[in-house]
Amino acid sequence: MPGASRDGTIDGAEEDPPHTLLPFLQSQSQNTLTRLYQRPSACLSMFRLLPPLDRQLVMNLLWLESAVPAGTMGAWVTRQGRKLYDEALLNLSRLHILPNPSVKLSLNGMFKTSLRQAVTGGGNNGSFGTAALKDDKHPPVSIEVLDTYAVERWETILHYMVSSGTGQLPTKPSPGVLFLLQRSGLMSTVHGSALQITSAGFQFLLHSPHDQLWQLLLQYLHMAEEREMDLVEILSFLFMLSTMELGKEYSIESLSVTQKAMLEDLRDYGLIWQRRTQSRRFSPTRLATTLTSLLPPLPTATSSGAGSQDQGFIVLETNYRLYAYTDNPLQTAVLNLFVSLKYRFPNLVVGSITRESVRKALANGITADQIISYLSTHAHPQMRKNKPLIPVTVQDQVRLWELERNRLKSEEGYLYTAFASQADYEYVLNYAKQLNVVLWENPAKRCFFGNLEGHGNIRGFIERRTGGQA
Amino acid sequence: MDQPSHISVILDLSPSQWHLSSLPQNPYPLSLKSFLAQVLAFLNLHIASKHENTLAIFGAFPGKSVMLYSSTDPASDSSDSGSPNIYRPFEIVDSRVVTRIEEELESIDDSQEEAPIGLVGALTKALCYINRIKHPTPSTQSNGTTVEDPATLPDPRILILSVSPDLSTSYIPIMNSIFSAQKLKIIIDVCKIYGPDTVFLEQAAHLTGGSYVYLERRDALLQHLVMSHLPSPALRKLMAVPTQDKIDFRAACFCHKNIVDVGFVCSVCLSIFCRPVAVCTTCRTKFPMSTLRRLDAYLPRAAKQANGTAKTSAPPTPTATGLPSTPR
Amino acid sequence: MPPRQADDYADESDSDIDILEDSGNRSKKGKGKAIDRSKKDKGKGKSSEQPYAWEASYTRSWDTVQEDEAGSLTTAVADLLARNRRRRLLAPADAIRRTIIRHLIIILDLSLSMLDRDMRPTRFDLSLEYAREFIVEWFDQNPLGQIGLVGMRAGLGERLSEMSGNPQDVLKAISERHRLEPAGEPSLQNAIEMARGSMGHLPTHSSREILIIFGSLTTVDPGNILETLERCVQDRIRVSVVALAAEMKVCREFCDKTGGQFGVAMNEGHFKDLLFELIPPPAQRALSRAAGAGANKPDADLMMMGFPVRLPDTSPPALCVCHSELKSEGFLCPRCSAKVCDVPTDCDICGLMIVSSPHLARSYHHLFPVKPYQAVTTLEEGSAFAKSCHACARSFPDAPLASSTATAEGMSPIGRYRCPDCQHDFCTECDVFIHDVVHCCPGCGK
Repeated sequence: MPGASRDGTIDGAEEDPPHTLLPFLQSQSQNTLTRLYQRPSACLSMFRLLPPLDRQLVMNLLWLESAVPAGTMGAWVTRQGRKLYDEALLNLSRLHILPNPSVKLSLNGMFKTSLRQAVTGGGNNGSFGTAALKDDKHPPVSIEVLDTYAVERWETILHYMVSSGTGQLPTKPSPGVLFLLQRSGLMSTVHGSALQITSAGFQFLLHSPHDQLWQLLLQYLHMAEEREMDLVEILSFLFMLSTMELGKEYSIESLSVTQKAMLEDLRDYGLIWQRRTQSRRFSPTRLATTLTSLLPPLPTATSSGAGSQDQGFIVLETNYRLYAYTDNPLQTAVLNLFVSLKYRFPNLVVGSITRESVRKALANGITADQIISYLSTHAHPQMRKNKPLIPVTVQDQVRLWELERNRLKSEEGYLYTAFASQADYEYVLNYAKQLNVVLWENPAKRCFFGNLEGHGNIRGFIERRTGGQA
Repeated sequence: MDQPSHISVILDLSPSQWHLSSLPQNPYPLSLKSFLAQVLAFLNLHIASKHENTLAIFGAFPGKSVMLYSSTDPASDSSDSGSPNIYRPFEIVDSRVVTRIEEELESIDDSQEEAPIGLVGALTKALCYINRIKHPTPSTQSNGTTVEDPATLPDPRILILSVSPDLSTSYIPIMNSIFSAQKLKIIIDVCKIYGPDTVFLEQAAHLTGGSYVYLERRDALLQHLVMSHLPSPALRKLMAVPTQDKIDFRAACFCHKNIVDVGFVCSVCLSIFCRPVAVCTTCRTKFPMSTLRRLDAYLPRAAKQANGTAKTSAPPTPTATGLPSTPR
Repeated sequence: MPPRQADDYADESDSDIDILEDSGNRSKKGKGKAIDRSKKDKGKGKSSEQPYAWEASYTRSWDTVQEDEAGSLTTAVADLLARNRRRRLLAPADAIRRTIIRHLIIILDLSLSMLDRDMRPTRFDLSLEYAREFIVEWFDQNPLGQIGLVGMRAGLGERLSEMSGNPQDVLKAISERHRLEPAGEPSLQNAIEMARGSMGHLPTHSSREILIIFGSLTTVDPGNILETLERCVQDRIRVSVVALAAEMKVCREFCDKTGGQFGVAMNEGHFKDLLFELIPPPAQRALSRAAGAGANKPDADLMMMGFPVRLPDTSPPALCVCHSELKSEGFLCPRCSAKVCDVPTDCDICGLMIVSSPHLARSYHHLFPVKPYQAVTTLEEGSAFAKSCHACARSFPDAPLASSTATAEGMSPIGRYRCPDCQHDFCTECDVFIHDVVHCCPGCGK
């Protein structure tokens, strides 16, 4: 699935697909978006989610009072960038940031005012969160505590998913999370039994934490309407969180009712931390503050050593052996999805990629590409010296194992048989071959198989022929 | 393509030049205060573009250069609660830069005010700083907790906002800095806000592949900065940025530090002189009399030129001005 | 090959040459006989103590790196840094005279012996590859120099490219491998005469150099090669030889008499080192010594040069004086306003030498080096010490390093190095960076 919707390649470098949130936002009504744009923090976070060229266009137009003729801006675009530029304009207009870009370019007034306010500071809508007053009894919680909290919450969710099929009973996340997992199709119940992970869930596990987080939040947004929550409030709260500072406490006084209601959910996901459920203050965790960034949202994991999360921990050899320097049960469990693990040491897991282990993963709905991309994103720094990163033998073999499962290709069609004579058979077969619809033929048995599209024609042909004879 | 990037901004903060710039008889007077406001908005936009974008700000003051802010510095003053109306990192940058500039400007006394501007120092510091963030050596001592940036090394650029004229004594150091920037693949962007075009900075931008903008409409500073200096190198392939229309490859002579367009060059050490000399002052090579006599034929013109160039910049040769400068 | 420092390289390579000397004689004896290729190979193989590479004792490169008690390599790394520093301190601080305008002819051996595989993949391919790197680097450091190429093939000298100041031109000449396919025997005399002929007209203040990459152990000459040597000495041409096989007396003599360098490459890395040693501009005195009793022409001159203005790509097109082509971009001669396509060049109209000043400026750091910084050993005097490096703002360690490893000469135990002029402190990394790359002190700005 290379290059989702924007496959602009510059110097052979694949461009990153747009952020998962953008299509969702594009599907919202203009009214919703305009209300969202009233908040400077929301504009700032939106701005960050945009692809680079879109960002530059917004910046170019941000400080202009009057509209720019489309041609004037277009003159700056190089021939190479033409395609991307057109896409960027389209993208911006779908987000209602740039209304009718075909004639004159001018930013949505509300967006412009708010983003300007965000950049220069000022206004008094408090969209970046009101810091809580100093509490002498309880000093603000340290960043380490927040990190452990976030990691603990997040890994609980993932761990629950991984081990749901294995019969172990890890700690259950809160009902809200379970509901969300079920709704998003990552887990499902079969005949009222316990929740089981689905193939989408297995795929989910191999994504980067950042993608996982957004996938869940997106589902949360989708559910907002049925729960009769205001989408704008939710979005702007998420965006506000993403602009907050890690390790500071914020007051919930300025939050709306909806947003206060969200606190509980977000606490379950590990996005925010509160001392007590009824506390008047909250602190965003690293998961929240990095929502709009590329930094690994999960901080240096529970392991004592230097963060294995962002550094990569997997060494894969050409002989399919895999060494994972990790003591994190979650990572081990995820590896267990497609690696047959052999030994486990305090900080090292050794296993090998075998046909059986990969087939197990494939059966779970994980694709070969996902396995390979998981291996390459989590490759140990030592392995990054190799070029290509993942040994070619292993890559090819994993792909071949995937192809192995697809040896049969089904196609619907019709079997034509019981021809009166060989001549009849050949006459019809010739016609069918001209139409290029024959999938299989067997002259000995005087039958052939044609696909679905050709059927009408062939039937008509036979009828005309038999009709003519009669 | 969507990589984080780093900008080191060098602010030319010569009090006298800024005073001249703010005089109302200029076509578009620009005071230091409004300049800073616009630059800060520009810097905020850079940080806003990406969470991982980094920033370092250097100030060039008369006779010294100071690092005003860098993203890698630990935020020491996290005591104040912060306003709910502004993104916290913006607030930190803005307040830090403004207070540091005020401090530094106040500490300059009258005697220092006329000292040459510390542009070279600021430029070399920016290079050293970029060198440091490009090669995050976990400092040799084993306290080990220094969380260096992850493997994604930011795409470094230097932006010089200049108001002072060329300082011919700094020719060699500036050239050396340019060459090291070339080696490190750092782009140097130049925005000339006030005063005549500077030959050296033009060359800097040209040799490193940056853009050089001579700001005519100084009320539109922010727009210029955003359009021509904010795009990352990858983005510049898609959206063009203005480049200079004409590059002056003149050099400064070693003897009088004049900027010359025809010079006399020692064959041994390549020192440039504005008039024929008998002995090279750099390498003490004696030049043959015959050459001197031959070159003396040009002397009247050369000498005239040398006198004419005693000021800060050479009078443009007829060819330089005779050409229509193309619109950017 | 264990990682070695350049400073202990000098004596090492000397010893190699000593070893190689007798082997060179040995192969010379064999020269009278019919040349048999296997024999020649052995000449090279026997040049070192062991007859064959695979019989040599296995060098364990990791043994040369010492771990300290804690099993860390920091000591070894610090030691390397210290050696670098010392070398810099030893280097003469004052401006020495170097020949900066250089003319070099590279003579490539294209004889059959270049097909030997003792260097991977073959001597020929390796030489071409290194020659390319050499040319790029050489032009980087000698922006005003010119390079020409001559090949030795089938007993003839072959001109591969004319003298040119444009690296692309020179590189193009050796880009097509199939045109250079080795054949026959080499002829030193023919090639050197050809090179000498193309350098006769050059001005006296510039250097004339020949670099021979020689893989063969024989030369097929039409006349007495020693006469050629005489003429080279007269013309003050400096001949350097990098031999791939073994030392030949005549090559050694060429180098000694003309003031060039001679070396025999032991392996691929050494080959590259030998080549790249020839890149920095040679000091001037070597030249005058080499000149000996030769011509009393002046070895320096004052040249008049013009610094042009570069026209942008968008300027109205005009005819250039060099090719009479209509184009927008170009450089304007400052004296006569003629438009030329490329610099450095001589103006076709008024004859003024046009160079762009960055070309000149590239070599200035040779002339005005940054003074070496002094290692700060103690913090006791005074209290007002900067908390962080003056250049990169990295904070200094508060206490001296716990391990007593950094006491090496020239190293600061507290990681501070001070500029003698501006008295600012710099960290280790910046110290190296400033002296090796920037060539400009951030404190004093010069």
